[in-house]
Amino acid sequence: MIQLKDISCSVGDFKLGNISFTVADANYMALMGPAASGKSLLLKCICGIHPIDSGRVLIDGKDVTDLPPHLRNIGYVPQDYALFKHLNVADNIGFALKIQGKSISRRHRQVTRVAEMLSIENLMGRAVDTLSSAQQQSVALARAIVSEPSVLILDEPVSGLDEAHRQEICALLRMIAKDLKLTVIHVSHNIEESFAVADTAVLLLNGLLEQFAPLSDLLRKPRTEFAARFMRCENIYSCEATGAVFPGGTEVKLGSEILVLPGSFNTNVRFMIRPENIQVLKKYPGWEQDENILPAKLIGFRDFGNYIRVELDGPAHMVAHLSYNSFKKIDIPKETDLLAWLPRESIHVLEDEQPAD
Amino acid sequence: MGPCRLLSGCNLRILSHLRCLFFGNLNLKKAVTKTSSSHSVKLNTVALSFLAAFIALVLILILTSLSYIDLQAFKTVFTTSEIRYAIWTSIWTSCVATAISLVFAIPAGYALSRCKVPARILADTIVDLPIVFPPFVVGLILQIFFRQTAPGRFIHETMGLEFIFRPTGIVLCQFLVAASYAVRFSKIAFDNVDNRCRQVALTLGCTRWSSFRHVSLPQAKSGIISGGLITWARSFGLFGPLMLFAGSIASSTQTLSTRIYTEQSSGNFQVALAGSLLIVLIALVVMLAVRIFTSKKVVSL
Repeated sequence: MIQLKDISCSVGDFKLGNISFTVADANYMALMGPAASGKSLLLKCICGIHPIDSGRVLIDGKDVTDLPPHLRNIGYVPQDYALFKHLNVADNIGFALKIQGKSISRRHRQVTRVAEMLSIENLMGRAVDTLSSAQQQSVALARAIVSEPSVLILDEPVSGLDEAHRQEICALLRMIAKDLKLTVIHVSHNIEESFAVADTAVLLLNGLLEQFAPLSDLLRKPRTEFAARFMRCENIYSCEATGAVFPGGTEVKLGSEILVLPGSFNTNVRFMIRPENIQVLKKYPGWEQDENILPAKLIGFRDFGNYIRVELDGPAHMVAHLSYNSFKKIDIPKETDLLAWLPRESIHVLEDEQPAD
Repeated sequence: MGPCRLLSGCNLRILSHLRCLFFGNLNLKKAVTKTSSSHSVKLNTVALSFLAAFIALVLILILTSLSYIDLQAFKTVFTTSEIRYAIWTSIWTSCVATAISLVFAIPAGYALSRCKVPARILADTIVDLPIVFPPFVVGLILQIFFRQTAPGRFIHETMGLEFIFRPTGIVLCQFLVAASYAVRFSKIAFDNVDNRCRQVALTLGCTRWSSFRHVSLPQAKSGIISGGLITWARSFGLFGPLMLFAGSIASSTQTLSTRIYTEQSSGNFQVALAGSLLIVLIALVVMLAVRIFTSKKVVSL
């Protein structure tokens, strides 16, 4: 378990302010955020490599704020792995054990066990600069977990790898975390990568905590417009409340069209809907409750492989991600006068205030 | 891809291609690949010829001197006990001076590389100062320090540490002239140690001291050894300050380089030349040996 309480720290002009969150035992957390949002710095604060100005760091319930890094029981894999070039693979992995003064036979046993777990036992005698990036990554991981820490801190562990290796290492990370019951913090820019490994997520922006939530909520129920945009949602709209409130819904005006949003409120709000949740229709379906169906003119589309991105213009600019089958069924691009259905339950009202414009 | 990038090549052929580009229809892609490949060939040729010219110059000088000497001179060098003593003095004083230099250079280089040093630029420059000192001046300054100043006399007379016209004086001169190289090399070597490696070592159970011992020092090792090598070579051939401060007393403070000077001034050119070539030979063997020894980078724990 990792608990951060009001961590503040500064480097030059950059300030990390009042970060608090808790990663539960054996939980895998993705630490996300744009470049220079303070992700790596926060990791260094947790490891004790970088001093903090205020706040407390607790690991497994024990306050480690004033302890040096080597007494915190943390496994740390920095960006680009930082393997020891003067040592071969086996000695890199066994480094922590040697420092602890373990006997050669004990070291050998533990190193072999970890290497077998990561399928790198055939690399043991190699010099580290002869390894591929994926192999280096595995060695760095083995080195971090050999002394059985309860917490593993990974700084962009797969960003240097190609797609195939990225998936392979992500699966491996997930497996190790589960088998060894590790509490993991994994820094990532990439949404797919985070979903492949993590349960919860922390999103940082400019050194401040933007959202701490289960990963699924960060994607589907972001707190702010920034969080929504970071998770690559483009459909964010400001609308006017008309004053009509039903049970479970509130009527708003988007351009000249009426929409029903979930929840009840009487002010102007901003809402988002994920592109994969917008349904594109050819004609009115003739349902009894045909709410939230908007006229939409096709502007363009592009095939991204596993989905087709369709741009629509209606009361606002809309982006929908369609499967290839539904794309074919609608008969784009022949049909250009379409309808966009924004199901009420897929709409999420954002919490942040209206930007001043 | 504009004319700017093409011009930066500074190649006449590119210029003529450029003219075609503006006034005729030339395949731009083809022009670029063609010139860049011929460019790299030429660059290598030019670089290699400069290297070859330098090596040739050194070898020609050595070989022509070799052809001038008769073997008798070498025999004299090895059989005269005073010269044998001078050779031995040169070797051991250089080794001691190098060892002392490294004792200073490793922590000092680490400090320059990793610590917050007040007035860093000034400190950095002062470390380099002995490199630009004319060596003779070092001898002069030492002479004045120990003979004329209070702290010098205190060391000399009260503490009883004697340097003037003593072998210890040789080591002192060598240390002053050559230690700067060791510090400089050690700083560069520590600069090249990846900071993240040190940080990882801390999380792997190292204290600051043990991360220095197990990560920084082994990774900086080859740079530090190179620095030691330069220091040794500089000490071994040192001449100017020794004449003035340590003197050239046969079978006492005479080194190979000061002996050569003595031989030369008494007209024994053959012996002086043989001694000089011996210096070159010893330096060559030592430097090659250390290079070969340290080229094995990965060592087992």
